[in-house]
Amino acid sequence: MNARTMTRMLLLAAGLLGMAPAFAQEIGFTAAVDRNAIAAGDQLRLTITLTNARERFEAPDLGGLVVVQGPFESSSFNYVNGRMSSTVSRTWVLTATKPGRYTIGPAKARIGNGVIQTEPITIEVSKGSAPPPAPAEAQGQQRGDPNLFISLVLSKSKAYVGEQVLASYYVYNRYPNVEIAKVDPSKPNGFWVEELSVDNAPREQRVVNGLPYNVTLIKQQLLLPQRSGTLRIEPLSISFIVNRSFFSRGTPVDARSNAAELTALPLPAGAPAGFNGAVGELELTVKADRAEVKVDEAIEVEVKLSGSANLKLIEAPKLQFPADFEVYDPRVADRISVGAGGMIGSRGFQYTVIPRHDGTYAIGPLSITYFDPKAGAYKTLSSPALTITVAPGEAGSASAAAPRVQRADVATLGTDIRYIRTGDMGLRRKDRWLFGSWPWFAGMSAPPLAFVLLLAWSRKRERDRADAAGMRRRAADRVARKRLREAEAALAAQDSGRFHAALSKALQGYIADKLGLGIAGITPEAMERRLQGAPDAKAIAADAARLIAACDMARFAPAGDRPQRERYDEAMNLIQRIERAAEA
Amino acid sequence: MIRALLLHFLLAAAAAPVAALSIAQADSTAAAAQQAYASGDYEAALKGFEAVAAHYRSASLCLAMGNTHYKLGDLAQAILWYERGLRLAPADEDLRANLDIANEQVRDRLPAGQGLALGRTWDALRGNNPDAWARRSLWACLLLFAALTAAHGARGIARQGAWVLAGIMALILTGCLLMAYARHRALTATDEAIVMVAKVEARSEPREEAKALFVLHRGTKVSASAGLDGWIEVRLPNGTAGWLPASALERI
Repeated sequence: MNARTMTRMLLLAAGLLGMAPAFAQEIGFTAAVDRNAIAAGDQLRLTITLTNARERFEAPDLGGLVVVQGPFESSSFNYVNGRMSSTVSRTWVLTATKPGRYTIGPAKARIGNGVIQTEPITIEVSKGSAPPPAPAEAQGQQRGDPNLFISLVLSKSKAYVGEQVLASYYVYNRYPNVEIAKVDPSKPNGFWVEELSVDNAPREQRVVNGLPYNVTLIKQQLLLPQRSGTLRIEPLSISFIVNRSFFSRGTPVDARSNAAELTALPLPAGAPAGFNGAVGELELTVKADRAEVKVDEAIEVEVKLSGSANLKLIEAPKLQFPADFEVYDPRVADRISVGAGGMIGSRGFQYTVIPRHDGTYAIGPLSITYFDPKAGAYKTLSSPALTITVAPGEAGSASAAAPRVQRADVATLGTDIRYIRTGDMGLRRKDRWLFGSWPWFAGMSAPPLAFVLLLAWSRKRERDRADAAGMRRRAADRVARKRLREAEAALAAQDSGRFHAALSKALQGYIADKLGLGIAGITPEAMERRLQGAPDAKAIAADAARLIAACDMARFAPAGDRPQRERYDEAMNLIQRIERAAEA
Repeated sequence: MIRALLLHFLLAAAAAPVAALSIAQADSTAAAAQQAYASGDYEAALKGFEAVAAHYRSASLCLAMGNTHYKLGDLAQAILWYERGLRLAPADEDLRANLDIANEQVRDRLPAGQGLALGRTWDALRGNNPDAWARRSLWACLLLFAALTAAHGARGIARQGAWVLAGIMALILTGCLLMAYARHRALTATDEAIVMVAKVEARSEPREEAKALFVLHRGTKVSASAGLDGWIEVRLPNGTAGWLPASALERI
């Protein structure tokens, strides 16, 4: 025994003076755990031991750890070689529900007037291999039988509209024998619900508030929020009968799960045009079963979306087919497995199309937009256009000879304003019109003016022409009168011989002067030649020759013959005719 | 890049001297604006077309102005320019189609002005060239006096034929003159206007405090009489009349 121990024992002895301890043994007070690091849900054992004292001591502050079992007490006495030692220990079985660092505080024991305490212990709790569902105590709503209750656990508390949320209902039970009598199913409002199979769910043991429970997954649903906002999932009620045995009819126990609320976030605004409501992760494939066909042969085109998303809610995408392809409504081919991980698989849309004309056509391209909740953004998948070569149908076959064409009106896809006209715009000065402008007035007045001028000119010419004819007639009269003045005097004197001589002389002189002939050369032929241009030359010549001959005959005829007025007029007329003919 | 710069330069150059714009300048400005329109640069296109429209007009230009306004979302201006274009060319299919589309978006629904079948025939008769009837009247005048001249000069049966021809030509000339006059009246009329503001109340008197009679919306076409102190009396096709502030209207 060394000096230091002696000192401590003396101190203790002084402290315990009057208490009359029967033994002067060394007092020890220790806290120990069997392990310092556990996984969440695992158990550890805390043992606090007081040696050589029989004082009470309290449980230390457990720092958040949950008591599963205990405390168990044990004590022992040893009497060895006249020395007696005693040990009192208490043991707790502890667990932790959440990972983290926990500190078990010091345990204290009051011995005499002094206080003795243990060292604090730090426990590291790591994340459990399978995260346990939140214990029912967290929901706090649990009423009724604490030995049998249902807990509803959602895989997430916030989700986008269309995102998949797993709802699990666990039955916590401490009865040895439980039967389900009646299930009152809860129908979550505002969700698309997909029931999952729970046949193979494992049973396990969990500790809640220090009590061990048998935990069974009784119901599991995949919930897809269909609208935004706070969506409430009503509790599930199950009637159980417990402890039914051969001797007992059992006791009915009604259990109700907690209700749960889910915050459904709306999809961000500004969804691209091709968004079809898919939320998750997707891949797109578009393929046709063949690229070369003949007219009227069917092609299968499949648009396949695969991945993890709300596949069952995806609608057929709008795949653009050439206008004169006959397109049937797509068949939906699903290969979707629904499990705790959500809907996984593929949804295919199979289009049957029949080209009705030969040529090269393009199907698509197709682009599909989905919402990726992990990234919180829209993502667009696109596939290039498929090229289909359509060969003409069988020559000579009935369909090729007389193709059955189903006629239909041209479908209007949309309306928009017509495009501007390109090229020359045919611009003209603003507010400048031909009507009422001076060129128009000029153009309108020019023809009447011209007409009036023409009319005036033609009138004048007419008049001039009429004047010339009268003058010529008057001149011819004058010549004839002058030439026949002697014959006229003889006519007045009733002297037949002189009258005819004068008449003949006047006529011959006139014709000779006028036509440039000698007196002897006055013959009908000569006269006719000279009057060549006149239309009645022949008649004039004949008349003139006849009149001259008649005058000559009357000159030498018996004297009783009287001068004849007719013959004078005839001569006058003849001269005028010659005048006019010569003028012409 | 260079092309765009050139375009802007051209448009700016055309827009700057508002006073004088030769026909060659107008044509090149219009071509540049057409290119801007084709490339979707509607602001630049509008600037160019407006510079041209300050001095020049044509149905194609009105269509381009209307389309540009339409693309820029100015419905009332678009309707105004389509209507202006239809004044120049009443039988223009493009203008009519675009006006119909624009009118679909006008809030006020007014009864259609004229029967469709007759209206179309009448429009076709009026013709798309504003000067067509004036030009025809010039030809008819020329032919009438040619026939009269022939009638004066000819004799016999030809003379009678020429007189008949002259009579027919006189009738034709009368028709042409009437048409040209009617066309000119319609071209120079200012009795129609488009509502340019989103919403305006027609009042019973040309005063702000007067009783509100009815409400008109952007793009509605009304017949407008002469104004009075910044107010214009408008009339709807059903005969209802009211006073609008002149700033709310633009005459076609």
